[in-house]
Amino acid sequence: MSLDRETILSIVQTSLRELGEDLNKADLLSTDENTRLFGSRSALDSMNLVNLIADIEERLSEDYDIDITLANPSAMSRTHSPFRKVGSCVDYILELTTKEV
Amino acid sequence: MSKIAFITGTRKGIGRSIAEHLANSDWTVIGCSRRDSDFKHPNYHHMNLDISDEPAVVNALKKIKKEFGAVKALVNNAGVASMNHLLLTPSESYQKIFQTNVLGSFLVLRETAKQMSRNGGGRIINFSSIASPLNLEGEALYASSKAAVESLTKTAAKELAPMHITVNAIGPTPIETDLIKLVPKETINQLLEKQAIPRLGTQSDILNCIDFFLKPESDFITGQVLYLGGVN
Repeated sequence: MSLDRETILSIVQTSLRELGEDLNKADLLSTDENTRLFGSRSALDSMNLVNLIADIEERLSEDYDIDITLANPSAMSRTHSPFRKVGSCVDYILELTTKEV
Repeated sequence: MSKIAFITGTRKGIGRSIAEHLANSDWTVIGCSRRDSDFKHPNYHHMNLDISDEPAVVNALKKIKKEFGAVKALVNNAGVASMNHLLLTPSESYQKIFQTNVLGSFLVLRETAKQMSRNGGGRIINFSSIASPLNLEGEALYASSKAAVESLTKTAAKELAPMHITVNAIGPTPIETDLIKLVPKETINQLLEKQAIPRLGTQSDILNCIDFFLKPESDFITGQVLYLGGVN
């Protein structure tokens, strides 16, 4: 099964929203493509990012039967991390899920 | 509270005994082994699984969640042993021992912890052995694989604590199981002499530790390796 970009964006934003509700962080309730996922200007700390990635993987697996590992060595060795912003994360997931198909 | 337990290596020995014990204690138990099990119980479900096969482990945990719900307790029991002087130990033994004892434990732990993290936490119990602290001669690879499991336990305990997951390990003495039946009596006796209480362990000794780590009151205990027989 392949997913379109809009669907992936919605998955990432839903995960962020639920994380924001759990952590009581208003910044995560309404996000866009430019929302930062790590660094000093992000509302997420490193553990929050780990939880977010695990949550997205689980949503893809449970709801769409797509099993991918987002934090793989290829992602970690890129000059620009795919997890720096919502938009880059969505592009990266799109790339992986397209490969998967 | 959901009470789903996943136990690896349940076809015989300690794993089988833990599966029987938890199935009789109101847990829904999912057990696995490479081959079929003859254990039948209304609360027990068996799956054939090679825990060192990553896609198979991912699928197995996914299936468990779909059919029974998120795993609340993991007993990472499956393990293989090998005794040999290290000068006579082939590299195939390394592959076999580390694939199951370390890689297998890691994969099952990782996939189970993902479920636990989204479902209020859980308990993970790994299996070390007194072979590790005693640095037993003839068990270089087995003991070092268990040292790796201990390190994994302690690190995972720290990383998973914010998710309300405890990670501990049991370090059993030799027990009358298939794993030690080929070990010469004299070797076993020499080993027992190194324990504060020089006797073979029993299944009940292990079950007592399992109950302890699973107790709700044990939620402040993590990153510990509990050796039996007075070894440390």
